[in-house]
Amino acid sequence: MAAVPCHPENHLPWELLEQTQWLVRIRWWAAAGVLAAVVWAYAAGLVFAAWKFILVLGFVLAYNTWIYQRSRGRPDDRVSTPENWRKLTLRQIGLDAAVLWGLTCLSGGVASPVMFSLLLPVFCAAALLSPRSAYLFCAAILAGLSLTALAEITVGFPHPSILYPVHELDMLPHPLQLAAHLGIFAAVALLAARFAAAVVHTLRRQVDDLGRLRQAEADFGRKLQTLFSIMEGIGSALKLEQVLNTATAEVALVMQVKGSSVKLLTEDGKFLRYAAAFGLPESFVRDQMVEVARSPLNKRIIDGEAFVTGQVTAKEMFQFGEALSAAQIQSVLFMPLHVEGRVMGILGAYCEKPARFSDRDIEFFRLAAGLVAIAIENARAHEAAKTISNERNWFMMKVTHNLRAPLAGMLSILEVVRDGYLGAINDEQSEYLRRLDRRARTMLSMINGLMALARNRERTRVDPNAATKPEVLARRVRRTFQDKATEKRLAFQVNLPENLPPIRGQLETLEQLLENLVSNAIKYTPAEGSVEVKFAKANGTVRIEVSDTGIGIPAADRPRLFTEFFRSENAKSMDEVGTGLGLAIVKEIVDKLGGRTLIESEEGVGTIFVVHLPVAPVAKEAHT
Amino acid sequence: MDNKGLIFVVDDDPDIVATSRIILESNGYEVQTAANGKEAVSLLSRIKPDLVMLDVMMTTDTEGFDLAFKLKEDPEFKDLPIIMLTSFLDKVRAEGPGPFEFILGEAWPVEWLFEKPLDTKKLLARIEAILKAKKET
Repeated sequence: MAAVPCHPENHLPWELLEQTQWLVRIRWWAAAGVLAAVVWAYAAGLVFAAWKFILVLGFVLAYNTWIYQRSRGRPDDRVSTPENWRKLTLRQIGLDAAVLWGLTCLSGGVASPVMFSLLLPVFCAAALLSPRSAYLFCAAILAGLSLTALAEITVGFPHPSILYPVHELDMLPHPLQLAAHLGIFAAVALLAARFAAAVVHTLRRQVDDLGRLRQAEADFGRKLQTLFSIMEGIGSALKLEQVLNTATAEVALVMQVKGSSVKLLTEDGKFLRYAAAFGLPESFVRDQMVEVARSPLNKRIIDGEAFVTGQVTAKEMFQFGEALSAAQIQSVLFMPLHVEGRVMGILGAYCEKPARFSDRDIEFFRLAAGLVAIAIENARAHEAAKTISNERNWFMMKVTHNLRAPLAGMLSILEVVRDGYLGAINDEQSEYLRRLDRRARTMLSMINGLMALARNRERTRVDPNAATKPEVLARRVRRTFQDKATEKRLAFQVNLPENLPPIRGQLETLEQLLENLVSNAIKYTPAEGSVEVKFAKANGTVRIEVSDTGIGIPAADRPRLFTEFFRSENAKSMDEVGTGLGLAIVKEIVDKLGGRTLIESEEGVGTIFVVHLPVAPVAKEAHT
Repeated sequence: MDNKGLIFVVDDDPDIVATSRIILESNGYEVQTAANGKEAVSLLSRIKPDLVMLDVMMTTDTEGFDLAFKLKEDPEFKDLPIIMLTSFLDKVRAEGPGPFEFILGEAWPVEWLFEKPLDTKKLLARIEAILKAKKET
């Protein structure tokens, strides 16, 4: 909101400056005109006191120079305040009036046609000053002219007419004639003053209205801007505490108040707790709980009614009456925070000025409260979801850890027995122990898969800023799987063209992704088959293709391929350990990296998995 | 069988300790065991093992690592080779000191890291290699 109050006369200095500069110019010309007239009259042989005119001209030139000096430049440089500007304007109009009166006297007094030029100062006063000053000028001029007329009649003040040579018409005017002159002039002058003042007044009011409109529009724009920044501020934060702090700070700023607070209802709805406050004394909010049932005011607000007061005096209305007056709070405004008809708390604004909140402020505050309520709801939902997800992951980690340790012990014992360390065993015993070992290992790899899945979810290990060199990835995959493939008599190849860009994501994550795909390919490809990993560049992505000549995936199973624990029937029938978790992990990683997966498979012929991974941001140092 | 050296097995899982003892003794090693870091430290004042097999998670999640670091900082034991065992290799890889490679770097106070359940053949081969290298220096 504007720090400068809307002042209806703010435009005055500029207007006065402009008019003053115009008057200064007119005076130069008028002076020149008068001089020319005097010279011409003199040359034409008219007998009159020319030196008196020259004297008046000199005076005009003198004060016009002074005004010219003062009116150069900006209004705020020369004469700082509007009051000073009014004074300057008043002075020059006064001087003009005096000069014109003098010229009138010199050119024939009340009978002189110059007399009507005396209307000019009246117009000027009406336009530039106030109606009152126009009437005052009018009165002063009439007084001056009356004085002149009186002097002419009583003491024989000379009234040389410029129209009639003095010596040719040197007669005393009749008092009635003078009175008629004066009367007509007075009537015209007063009507002119009244008319000019009325027109100027109307115009000025319209200008002021326009100014106020513009001001209101600017205020409205600022409020919209603030609502937007509240939204932005609280929308970008997901932590409840952060949302509350941003919201209270922004609200206090928009409302231009000393402080603001958010009180939230406890889950049972019985208490209100100060959740955040801005600009309020520490003691005011620290551990403050309000029992709703014992606070009729809060009860009313929670029931959906806004509350506003401009005079915090009735202490019984407030549970913290002392605290409010200690903080010199005079005006308060409370608004229920509700989302979908459910009230979650109260938004409050506090101001030291009495009667601070207008109806428009209240309406605006209602809007702000709506936004704050949505932001709080949003943050709460986010936090709840996060807690649930964390708890689930923690539970999964714990369970899998606790399952692995005894299984490892079991397998160690089995191995010792099977290898004959504890004495010879017969073939049948050996066969059953082998089966036992296989079942235990299936369980172990299932637990491993679960652990990997849980860990992946626990912390998003996908760092979009990390970069991995494809060569390193390829090297690792080759090293990890070469022996296994050879053991199974499979042809295993990793193809890597030169100059591939780094891939987005950490090495460990990408390795895990590729390990799952390659181990599947090896697992489900019978002996003498082949497994190939091909890297390629494609449209801002790195394309990794893992192809095999294995058992393939039945078309009907493809949609469920990436679900946890899913295994195709033909995969289950193979004598291989599998958990059905590998592809779920692959999907999760690819999704987090913003990549894409494609499958092509034919039962009994083979499978091709294609993963498109985004190229890493350029400036980052690649992972080596 | 001839005595190929003294292996000190530190693990809180009695089954792992028992099976390790059987395997190692059958392959000509002498075996001493401890169930946790504290016991291991007190035993180390009396015995002079040639190699330590150390579990990562015992009383605490990082007890094995803590002990390994302590031994490497101790001038008396800094040359004592350590083979670390864990059921949670990927967890250790993710949370251990620095990225884990098959050849362990400076940050790792151990000579080798094995995942449980142990591959007996690889373990025996590794122990032999480490002890041989140690003898040569």
